[in-house]
Amino acid sequence: MNIATYARRNLFRRRGRTILTMSAVALAVLIFCVIRTVVAEWNAGADAAAQDRLAIRHKVSITMQLPRHYVDDVRGMKAQGVKAVTWANWFGAKDPKERIPFFAGFAVDQNSWFDVMDEFQVDPAVLEEWKKIENKNGAIIGDQLAKAFGVKVGDKLVVNSDIYPGDWEFKVLAIYKPLRRTADRNTLMFRWDYLTDDPRATFSKDQVGWMTARIDDPGKGAEIGRAIDAKFSEKDDQTLTMSERAFQLGFLGGFSAILHAFDYVSLGILLVMVLILANTIAMAVRERTHEYGVLRAIGFPPGHILGFILGESILVALVGGALGVLVTLGLINGMIGPFIEENMSGMFPYFSVPTAVIATAFGAAVAVGVLAGIVPAILASKLKVTDALRRLD
Amino acid sequence: MVPVQYNIRSLFVRKVTTTVTAIGIGLVVFVFAGALMLREGMNHAMGANGHSDVAVVIRKGSDNELSSAITNADLDRLKGHTGVAAVIGEVVVVIAGERDDGSGAISNVLVRGTPAEGFTFRPEVKIVEGREPKPGTPEVMVGKGIAGRFKGLSVGGTVELRHNRPLQVVGVFDADGASYESEVWGDVDYIRHALGREAGVSSVRVRFDSPSDFDAYRGDIEGDKTMAMKVSREADYLRKQGESTSSFLSGMGIAFAIMFSIAAMLGAAITMNGAVANRSREIGTLRALGFSRFSILTSFVLEALALAILGGLLGSACVLVLTLIKVPVMNFQTFSEIVISFHATPSVFVKSLVFSGVMGLVGGLIPAIRAAGVSPVEAMRA
Repeated sequence: MNIATYARRNLFRRRGRTILTMSAVALAVLIFCVIRTVVAEWNAGADAAAQDRLAIRHKVSITMQLPRHYVDDVRGMKAQGVKAVTWANWFGAKDPKERIPFFAGFAVDQNSWFDVMDEFQVDPAVLEEWKKIENKNGAIIGDQLAKAFGVKVGDKLVVNSDIYPGDWEFKVLAIYKPLRRTADRNTLMFRWDYLTDDPRATFSKDQVGWMTARIDDPGKGAEIGRAIDAKFSEKDDQTLTMSERAFQLGFLGGFSAILHAFDYVSLGILLVMVLILANTIAMAVRERTHEYGVLRAIGFPPGHILGFILGESILVALVGGALGVLVTLGLINGMIGPFIEENMSGMFPYFSVPTAVIATAFGAAVAVGVLAGIVPAILASKLKVTDALRRLD
Repeated sequence: MVPVQYNIRSLFVRKVTTTVTAIGIGLVVFVFAGALMLREGMNHAMGANGHSDVAVVIRKGSDNELSSAITNADLDRLKGHTGVAAVIGEVVVVIAGERDDGSGAISNVLVRGTPAEGFTFRPEVKIVEGREPKPGTPEVMVGKGIAGRFKGLSVGGTVELRHNRPLQVVGVFDADGASYESEVWGDVDYIRHALGREAGVSSVRVRFDSPSDFDAYRGDIEGDKTMAMKVSREADYLRKQGESTSSFLSGMGIAFAIMFSIAAMLGAAITMNGAVANRSREIGTLRALGFSRFSILTSFVLEALALAILGGLLGSACVLVLTLIKVPVMNFQTFSEIVISFHATPSVFVKSLVFSGVMGLVGGLIPAIRAAGVSPVEAMRA
């Protein structure tokens, strides 16, 4: 019998307790991985926003609009690095029957929108059709939205708005294909003039909600942004130019505070794990104190005792951690992930456990093992042989 | 029945194990109680100022004051009904605020333009710093929830509503914890002029002589198809505004707490299992003395319960620290920030203790059954 055999047999001396502890550790690692995955995938989604696009909005308020002629002014800034500009107005779209809780509706410029927003792919022939005046009521929608409304190409679609009163009737002209995973599949896009020529939308006549500009060098984004804002700094309606990502985060900003809380919660579960494991190790050490005295008496150095206890603690944490990671992979990559990617693609275009999270989980398991075992291990190794032998319980 | 004192003393004998397990349970209760307190804080912010004799009128089809618009002509038609004591029309807009924490991040702040009567309309609003803005001027006051959190939003500061039309902050107000504390209040005419929205207001608040006048008024206004208005009681309107954020926050927090609690229950089970194993001689003796299997079962369940309640008390005590923290959350309706605080109520503590008790019962049941199964003869021979 060598040291490794001794350590292994020790592990399962109290089989019930070891199994309970390992399941507790596995569960804690599972929770940890789920939380870290949410945080990591959220950030990944935001990072995937196009780097070479700037959003230009009203400086004062997202609800305030910019004059239509600003588009031409920004288009004129070729020398500064602006390649293309398009615009849109937020429609505040709502399902009249309230079956769909939320979806984005934009009134967009039919001539430039899909050139700039190239993550939405539409058949060029259909796009040409859309530009014809007889298709002014044409709408291009995402496949998930089409499914939710139960409409297909050629069907009539009636939508309400939070901003513009009454029923708005569209003809579904095409279903766009998302080319990037980050492209929302629940968006309704229709012609800007269909909105602004309507008497119910006089408020938006010749006004654009925001502009999106494609620039030639993503590295010059901040500089170009300043140049655009400077151009309008003496006008009544001033602009605020930011990266597309910052623009999107402005609407979802509340989530960053919540994700910040997630960091603490994931630390909390590790702490619970340390406590459970420390309890188990402390119990085991107390039961075996007499044995450690015997080992010391027959010549094992204190370092070995320390190694036994710490090793056992780390081993339980690692086995439990591996179990937790396996369950996480099965649960997220096999079940929840595809569901989230399908139904919440706007927020989480990807939802699978990143390798970094798995690595962190194993690192955390080792750290937990050390933290939980260190105090009992040091105390036991420092105990005098005679004292240890005297302890019988 | 085995005296409970036996269990309590047993817990104290095993100091380390008891402390470690109780802290584990305490941590779970901390998360659980924190989630409940956040929901209470949100409900308080959204519901505290809902007066039963006040109605909110917005355009039909709008979900909130921000997207609503009511013309001046319609505003006049909302007045002069029986039972109506006062009517105020307000304009609501969100503006971009730069966070004053050095991050340069932009967040939305809600600005409310209210007539001079708007201040007396809400008696709970009190100035805590500076003074009230003068009607008809660019002066504004900011709610204490956001005062100092954004550039320019403190007494003496300015924010631009339109080029060269700065709003001057002259005061900070308290609104008894309501979401108004996350708003900037100024003069309705000045603000809508600056926005070029002189033609109307966003929303209208109506005060009745008595809460019972509401139904008749609502029938009159919503029945008038030429106006297309939606009339709600203020409390209902505010609750609906906070609903999605509130259920999102508490749902998430409670989901975490439940996941955590499974880990804590396993921890309690390990501890109690250890207790049973170490004390099998004692249990055998108790059985030999004539205590029934059921007495032993109850005794160990009570011990687990006491252990869990100890943890619950610990967690509930520590969670009070959170009341010092203010959290900015997103109002999904207006994309603007509301600052809420963790709100401790007696019901939070009752729920937390019940929650910890359940953890103790579930975690302690199987070890207790094991204890009840100990055979007295074998245990005493060991």
